[in-house]
Amino acid sequence: MVDLVQNTIDGLMIGSSYGLLALGFTLIFGVMRRLNLSYGPSVMVGAYLGTLVYVQLAAGPLVVLVVTVLGSVLAGLYVERLCFAPMAAGAGVASMVSSFAIWMQLEQAAVLVLPRHTYPFPPLATADPLAFGPFYLRVDGLIMLACALALSAGVQLLLYRSRVGLALRATINNPVAAHLAGIDVRTAVVFAFALASAVGGIAGYLVLATDQQVTPMFGMWATFKGLIAMMIGGLGSIPGAILGGLVLGVVEANSQWYFGPQVRDLLAYVLLFACLVLRPGGLLGEAPSRQQDTGRRGA
Amino acid sequence: MFEVSDIVATYGKIEALKGVSLKVESGKITCLLGPNGAGKTTLMMTIAGILQPRRGAIRLDGMDLAGLSPARIVSRGVALVPENRLVFPQMSVRENLLAGAYQRRDRAGIDSDIDRMYARFPRLKERREQMAGTLSGGEQQMLAVARALMSRPRLLLMDEPSLGLAPLIVAEIFEIIAELNRDGTTIFLVEQNAHMALKVAHQFFLMEQGRITFSGTPGQLAEDEVIQRAYLGSRRAAG
Amino acid sequence: MDDYLVGVLSNIGIVSFIALSAWLLLLTGEISFGQQAFFAIGAYAAGIATALWGWPLGAALGWSAAIAGGAAVLVGVPTLRLHGLYFAIATLGFAEMVRLLFEQFHYRVMIDGELVGPNGSDGFRGIRYIFENDVGSLQFLALIYLLLAAALAGFMLLERSRLGVAFRMIGEDDTLAALNGLAVARLKILAAGLAGALAGLGGGLYAHLTTYVEPRVFDVMLGVHSLAYGLIGGLGTALGPLLGVVIDIGLLESVRAFAGYRMIVFGGLVAVLLIVRPRGLLDEALVHRIGRLFVRAPPAGP
Repeated sequence: MVDLVQNTIDGLMIGSSYGLLALGFTLIFGVMRRLNLSYGPSVMVGAYLGTLVYVQLAAGPLVVLVVTVLGSVLAGLYVERLCFAPMAAGAGVASMVSSFAIWMQLEQAAVLVLPRHTYPFPPLATADPLAFGPFYLRVDGLIMLACALALSAGVQLLLYRSRVGLALRATINNPVAAHLAGIDVRTAVVFAFALASAVGGIAGYLVLATDQQVTPMFGMWATFKGLIAMMIGGLGSIPGAILGGLVLGVVEANSQWYFGPQVRDLLAYVLLFACLVLRPGGLLGEAPSRQQDTGRRGA
Repeated sequence: MFEVSDIVATYGKIEALKGVSLKVESGKITCLLGPNGAGKTTLMMTIAGILQPRRGAIRLDGMDLAGLSPARIVSRGVALVPENRLVFPQMSVRENLLAGAYQRRDRAGIDSDIDRMYARFPRLKERREQMAGTLSGGEQQMLAVARALMSRPRLLLMDEPSLGLAPLIVAEIFEIIAELNRDGTTIFLVEQNAHMALKVAHQFFLMEQGRITFSGTPGQLAEDEVIQRAYLGSRRAAG
Repeated sequence: MDDYLVGVLSNIGIVSFIALSAWLLLLTGEISFGQQAFFAIGAYAAGIATALWGWPLGAALGWSAAIAGGAAVLVGVPTLRLHGLYFAIATLGFAEMVRLLFEQFHYRVMIDGELVGPNGSDGFRGIRYIFENDVGSLQFLALIYLLLAAALAGFMLLERSRLGVAFRMIGEDDTLAALNGLAVARLKILAAGLAGALAGLGGGLYAHLTTYVEPRVFDVMLGVHSLAYGLIGGLGTALGPLLGVVIDIGLLESVRAFAGYRMIVFGGLVAVLLIVRPRGLLDEALVHRIGRLFVRAPPAGP
């Protein structure tokens, strides 16, 4: 019982970073109705730039955070410019495959700059874990959880209480009607990519600062964790993205403890598959509609 | 005055507009008639900037609108109520109206305009916090009109406002059109329901296969035998 | 031919099977990130059949296609009502499940004083059929291309058949296809089964070419690549995915000058290509135009 609770606590903490990645994914998918496979790799580019200033210039954690987030945003906008902006309506699959090609490109570029397999990443907090009776709370985990909740609340507020949020939601709802209402849809899309990449950059920073190391595999890791958490929580829902991340984190932490890492990954995918087949709308998302078909010509 | 001259637009390789020219007088209701596939919606979408013309000029009071982005065109004073009442289904009625005023920055003016819309369309007021997707067809059409008016357009474009609505609702919509015009809004509408249009419009154009083939007053329209047969049909069919 | 060239050509041939498999589903309008699952199932099935059960190669390849096709039909049923992103992610989830299950799969038999068979994440070594039966690498290459040619011939026939038209109709708009009287559900499952069998056949060939298989080979990267080949090469003809494979493996393997910049150049080229030709090099319009060149019969001679 103690183990179960401790695992669940640990799972909530790592899961909050999955939730942030899912949040970024859901924003991009919301405005584009297309899958951006390069989402994780653009965060990785940011993280590599952060690592570069850390390794080469011995920059402090705050500078590393800023560089990571800015790098993620720049890489995200590069992906938008190349894989999404110039694509014709109905070329959703082309955008997705193109974002995959750019993933390969970004990964190789990162490896060219920092060729070793792993690099150190500055830790977030080195304080001892807080003890509550038999349970331990890692300080960096708590920071991660707090950031995730604050950021998702912030994004929710931005979407529902601001002018740019109105423009974003209108674009998500109906791009043609948004144009006709005088909304600059192109700017809204670019803003969505920048916001999603910034959120992803913060998530990436938190994860890497907890692990204290970065590898080129991080891009793939971030894309798939974010994607799975988004699908479990439900496409298009911000609370769903966070909830999906937390559920995934808790399931992973417990299965890792009880059955080992291979079964952990297996159970994560079983959960994903079961969710899609039994409840395609996810825990909190909208029910799937034909408009979400990325693969169709009309998409 | 609003003027379209020699507009050519293509859909893929099909030439949908083959040199369209027409004039809309300020303060009047102008109606564009024509069969399905004539290019009426293409013309509306081109004026609104969703589609780009191959060539030709679009002028509102001397300003050239051709080639501008849809947002710019809205801020220049042209708003389109699109076919099939495109609203934002997962946003509330109030938020739909706010979106319509996106190009404006005057908070107080926007708030008072929202109140004016509620006064003109009481049913929107009742449903102001409801998601637009849950409204009836007629209510959505009213919302689409109100949203377009929120940008304070000098020219209101309407693409088949009566499409798919029950006769009573259609009558209501046309009453609103006449009312808006009495308040000074210039209106350019596409309509298949020629009988309803005849009651309100001051000027008519007929479009066939991407070209304007007739222009005239309601009187001239009613006298033209060909149009009589094609668009007004027997009086019995009148709605 | 030198060994290197034979190796590259064999690779191109084998990867073409899984690329064709993903392309067939694209034809019916679905994106699959998971065809590598059936490739893996085929590889294990064929390897077990020859190395552990002593089957001849032909029977083993047939068996690998059959069991992979069967598995694809079984997955096709619960994922039938999913579309677009939902379908794509479900296939990804399934494929990762299969890969991770193979990481746990142990089935070892003592043969000639040696333990042979799948051994979890260490993989499945000792699929020595082509050595034990003196099949030369050129002969095996010929076998790969013979089967590939047969598959292509099958696709050519399919394109001319009612079934091919039905698949493309479903790909364009499955509601409309259903309204036109097509049994959409059954046709989709049939397409999934055929695609699974193709990938399984490729997997069976792969296991015998490399003589060992490891679960980590069948990861998502293989699946996404397979899907990308069809889109790069073109959706208009079954030659499209093959062209995609040739461009990726053939061209870039041979141009060593790029070395460390390979993916930077290739990634950028693919992105630009997809802007210009969003449905690939050999897209429907081009294929249609080329087809008309041949169909338009020359005027009668003297």
